[in-house]
Amino acid sequence: MGSLSPLEKTRLTVDVELHRGSFRLGINFQAGAEILILFGPSGAGKSTLLNMISGLVKPDAGEIIFDGVTFFRKHRPGININLAARKRRIGYVFQDYALFPHLTAVENVAYPLWRQKDADSKAAMLLKKLGIAHLGNRYPHELSGGQKQRVAIARALAPDPKLLLLDEPFSALDLSLRERLQSDLSALQSESGLVVICVTHNLEDMFTLGDRLAVIQNGNLDQIGQVEEVFNSPVNHQVASTLGIQNLFQARVVDSRANGIVLEWDGLYFEAPFQPVKVGELVTAYIRAEDIKVLYPDMQLNKAVSHNQVAGANPPCQWP
Amino acid sequence: MNWQALLLSLQVTAVASVLIFVFGLALALLFARKHFPGRLIAETIVTLPMVLPPTVVGYYLLLFLGQGGPIVGWLRVHVLFTWQAAAVASAVAGLPLMVLSAQAAIANVDPALENAARGLGSSEPGVFFRVTLPLARRGVLAGLLLGSARALGEFGATLMVAGNIPGRTQTMPLAIYDAVQTGRYDLANQMVLLMTALAFMGLWWVRRIEQPKRPQTPPPGDVKEQRS
Repeated sequence: MGSLSPLEKTRLTVDVELHRGSFRLGINFQAGAEILILFGPSGAGKSTLLNMISGLVKPDAGEIIFDGVTFFRKHRPGININLAARKRRIGYVFQDYALFPHLTAVENVAYPLWRQKDADSKAAMLLKKLGIAHLGNRYPHELSGGQKQRVAIARALAPDPKLLLLDEPFSALDLSLRERLQSDLSALQSESGLVVICVTHNLEDMFTLGDRLAVIQNGNLDQIGQVEEVFNSPVNHQVASTLGIQNLFQARVVDSRANGIVLEWDGLYFEAPFQPVKVGELVTAYIRAEDIKVLYPDMQLNKAVSHNQVAGANPPCQWP
Repeated sequence: MNWQALLLSLQVTAVASVLIFVFGLALALLFARKHFPGRLIAETIVTLPMVLPPTVVGYYLLLFLGQGGPIVGWLRVHVLFTWQAAAVASAVAGLPLMVLSAQAAIANVDPALENAARGLGSSEPGVFFRVTLPLARRGVLAGLLLGSARALGEFGATLMVAGNIPGRTQTMPLAIYDAVQTGRYDLANQMVLLMTALAFMGLWWVRRIEQPKRPQTPPPGDVKEQRS
C-alpha cells in the first residue's frame, strides 16, 4: 500500500525529519505525475512539509529529490545539499495567497517572469485562463478572496513549474468556481504531466481532484494510497476519525440524468447532484452527519425536504 | 543672507543624506531581519547619538577621525576641519532617525511575501529590491527625510570636528551662531527663517508620507465572488 501503480514513474522522493521543540516531524513518501492530497488536522505539519519541499524551511535531516535533481540532502549517503528555493522552480500557492500588495494582479503573475520578453502577454493569458482577465489592473486589496486565490494560482503556474504545491487552494471559492478550477487543475495536471501536491480539508476536493491521499497527523504520515482505498480501509481509528468518515456506504447508480443521479443502497434510494458516473456502477458515497435532519412525527414536514426521504425504522446501531 | 553658508549646508546635507541612506538602510535591514548575538548592543550604539549631547558625539568623532584614530592611522586620510568632517558628523547625527524608521518599516513587511518571492525565483537582492524595499518605502523615505533634516541642523558635533571656518566649514547653524554673537540680527533673522522653513517642509513631507491612505472600500459588486 502507498506505492505507485507500476505504470507511474517516481518523480518526487521526499524523506524528511524536523524537530522544533516538542514537535517532531518524520515523513517519507514518493509521488509521480499525479495529484496527491495531503490531509490532516491543523498543526499536523502539512504546510511545513510543503515549505520543506519548496526550500523555505530546512529539514534537520533527509533527502528531497525531484526529477533527478537533489533539492536537499543531509545525514543521508552522499554530500549535503540544500538547493536555494529560487532554483527549485516550484509553483507554490500559499494558503493566504501571499500576493504582493504593491503590484497589480497582472504584475503579480508576471513577477516570476522577470526580464522575459513575453512576460506581460503570458501573465495576461494566464489571467484569462482563470477567468479574471478583466481584473488585471487591480491591486490585491481591490480583489475578493476568490479572485486573489486565482491570481495566486496564475502566478504559481507562470514559470511553467513541473511541481505544483497547493495549500488549500480553493478554500475561498464558491462552489461553481471551485468545480471549474478543480477540473482545470486536473486537465492541466494530465496535460503537462505535473506532480501536484495539494493540502485540502475539503472532501469534494479530495474525491474529484485526488489520485492519492496521504493522511498526516502529528508530523507522521499515517497512511497513503488511492483516495477510495484510504477511505474504505483506514489503517487505524485515528485515520478514520481524522478523515471524518461518517455514514460512508457503497451504492449502485441506478439512474443518471442531467439534473442529478439516483443511488441505491440496500433498497434505499438517494438523489445526488449530477456526477460523471455510469448507470450500474458501484460507487462510494457518504452523507455528512450535519446534513441529516430528524423529522419528528408530530411536526409538519418541511417543504424543502421533498426528496431523499428515508423512513428511519430506528434500527439498533452497533458502532465498532 | 550668508549664501556661502547656505551652499555649504546644502552640500554637507546632500553628502550626509547619501551616507544616511546607504548605511541606514543596510543597518535597518540587518536589525530587522537578522538575529545575531550583540544585535541589541549594536542597535543601542547606533541610536546613541540621538540622546547623547552633541559634544560627546563630536568628541568621539574627534578621536575617530583625528590623529591616532583609525581613519588617519589606517587610511591616511585627514578630514578634521574640512567640510567632509562636517558631513560625517551630520550623518552620524541623522543616522538613528533613518535606522529607527526604516527598521520598523522593514520589520512590518510580511516575511511570507519575501518567501513567496524566493519561491518565485528571486535572489536575495531581488527579494529586497522588488519586494521588501517597495513595501517599506514609506518608512524608508520618512526616515531619510528625518535624518536629512537632522543633518541640516547639525551644530555641536560639527563645531567640534569641522570648526567654524567661514567659507570652508561654516554651515548655516554655525553662521547663525556667529551672526548672533556679532550682533547682526537682521542676518540671523533671515537665516533662522530659512532654516525654519526648510525644517517645516521636511517634517510636513514626513507627516504626509506617514499619513494612512483613505480606507480602501472594495469596488461595489465585488465583495462577493463573481460567478464566471
